[in-house]
Amino acid sequence: MPSREGTYGLLAEFDTPSDLVRAARQARQDGWRRLDCYTPYPVEEAAEAIGFHRNKVPLLTLVGALMGLAAMFSLETWIATLAFPLNIGGRPLYSWPAFVVPAYEWTILWAGLSAAFGMLALNGLPSLYHPLFNAPNFRNGATTDKFFLCLEALDPKFDLVETKEYLEALHPVSVVEVEY
Amino acid sequence: MAHETHINTLPADLSAPAFVDAWRTRALLVGAVFAAIAAGLALADGSVDHLLRAWVLGLVLTFGWAVGGLALLMVQYCTGGKWGLLLRRPLEAMSRTLPLVFVYWLVVALNIKRLYLWAQFTSVQDTAIALKNGIITEAQAHCLDFKRGMLQPQTFWVVNLFCFAIWGFYMWRLNALSLKRDAESPDTTPLWIKKLENFSGPGIVIYSLTMTAAVIYWVMSMDVTWFSSVYGLLFLVGQGYQVLALGIIVAIALSKAEPFKTILRQTEQHDLGKLTFAFVMLNIYLGFAQFLIIWSGNLPEEIPWYLDRIRGHWGVIITLDFLFHWLIPFSLLLSRDLKRNKKRLTRVCQWMIFAKAFDLFWLIEPNFKDAARNLHFSWGILEYAAVPVALASFWVAFFCTQLKGRPLVQTNDPHVAEILEPEHVHA
Repeated sequence: MPSREGTYGLLAEFDTPSDLVRAARQARQDGWRRLDCYTPYPVEEAAEAIGFHRNKVPLLTLVGALMGLAAMFSLETWIATLAFPLNIGGRPLYSWPAFVVPAYEWTILWAGLSAAFGMLALNGLPSLYHPLFNAPNFRNGATTDKFFLCLEALDPKFDLVETKEYLEALHPVSVVEVEY
Repeated sequence: MAHETHINTLPADLSAPAFVDAWRTRALLVGAVFAAIAAGLALADGSVDHLLRAWVLGLVLTFGWAVGGLALLMVQYCTGGKWGLLLRRPLEAMSRTLPLVFVYWLVVALNIKRLYLWAQFTSVQDTAIALKNGIITEAQAHCLDFKRGMLQPQTFWVVNLFCFAIWGFYMWRLNALSLKRDAESPDTTPLWIKKLENFSGPGIVIYSLTMTAAVIYWVMSMDVTWFSSVYGLLFLVGQGYQVLALGIIVAIALSKAEPFKTILRQTEQHDLGKLTFAFVMLNIYLGFAQFLIIWSGNLPEEIPWYLDRIRGHWGVIITLDFLFHWLIPFSLLLSRDLKRNKKRLTRVCQWMIFAKAFDLFWLIEPNFKDAARNLHFSWGILEYAAVPVALASFWVAFFCTQLKGRPLVQTNDPHVAEILEPEHVHA
């Protein structure tokens, strides 16, 4: 567990997504690995620029969907053939066409729930504290109209003075130091 | 602005690239080869019955592109969206193939006696005699008499010609307006958007009604005893399915050269893939809903249509149809990476067009006495592999000619500016 005191990282602020993407691409290319982008809306190019290719949400969704499908279909099969067999219009007890609709609904339901909660869990949410909110410009801008690139102190290349100069060379609006 | 350097510019020459001519030549060649095969098969089979049935398949398929393309064009005028700019000219070209579809239809119309019971027995007396001689069943006789108001040769001609006239009118008007729009200055854009929207809205309703009438005559009435209130909608969704598949294939193939190289961005390709996915889902939803309702009702006058298509080895075909038509495209299109990959998305779309034709085979062939509940080999049944390919190839050739007819990008449209922006400034 890294120490939870001192500097969390250096935060550069940009006015446009293009500037952010350009800076992030440059930083990644220059060997930075502990870095992150913060934008008011999804900017997929920013995620690509810092080497973030895929996450596990699709997999969780698929697993959730298949679980929902299997659970409901087996529940229906169990009820109709073993637990409470009923003669409905002379049809076979195992009448799969009738099972499709609830099984389908559960597939959708479980896919949706797994996607939503899986996304939250993988994002590390709920989280009561994040050091970046110590920066006033982040508090005000990250959810409205500013684009941020943070180089974190955990990166071996990190040095308070040199990194600040490096970030300033990327033409941000400002660079601030963020404390834990 | 600081990021102005990213903005693309539309190339000066917006006409279709030269390789569209090569597509046309190839399509004509394939069409000729398969037409020869179809003729050979008809000789080997000693009858043109199967050729005509397969012809109906080809007609419904190409009709789906021509009139379904017209419908998607109207839908896009009403919904807006950047994806529409990519497909607008290809869709217009699809709609302008209507004359060829009309020619295909004429062949069916001149041979209705070979295809439809209602064209053979046109009066109560004829039906009674046929019933007495055991040519038709009691259910068929009853339905023939009951449905004669709609199902008879005169009404067939009148309704069909009327439908073609309406589609022709919409095709002509939308294509003419689109060119006129480009000729005018950008300050007229808002007016044009409203105008095309107002024209297209009612057009979608009229399309749904006329298209339903057409497929009832061409496909559904091959079995006079059959009725289903979702039938038109099934074909409507099916047309969305095949039109989007072809639209994506065309857009991606065109993107090898300008102007599509510039305007086909990954974002819109992804959007089109998602839209196609929705149609894949809706397609099975309606298809299965129809089956589930009839299966639940279990009524003797409704279920034979399904039994004809399940028993006697047809179960194999419907199982494959379920896999081809839904499971395979559905599973593949779930993938985000695939929808953003040009080559793979094209492959899936090609597969979907094949699957659509396969589904139509399952819908058409079991309508006939010799094939219902009895899937068996004959030289004739191979016509289903030959005739639709020939008709579709000739259609593609005609489509290419139409595609070359005008610039590939509509310029008097606000989406042009948006589509030229780099991808990460959207939202």
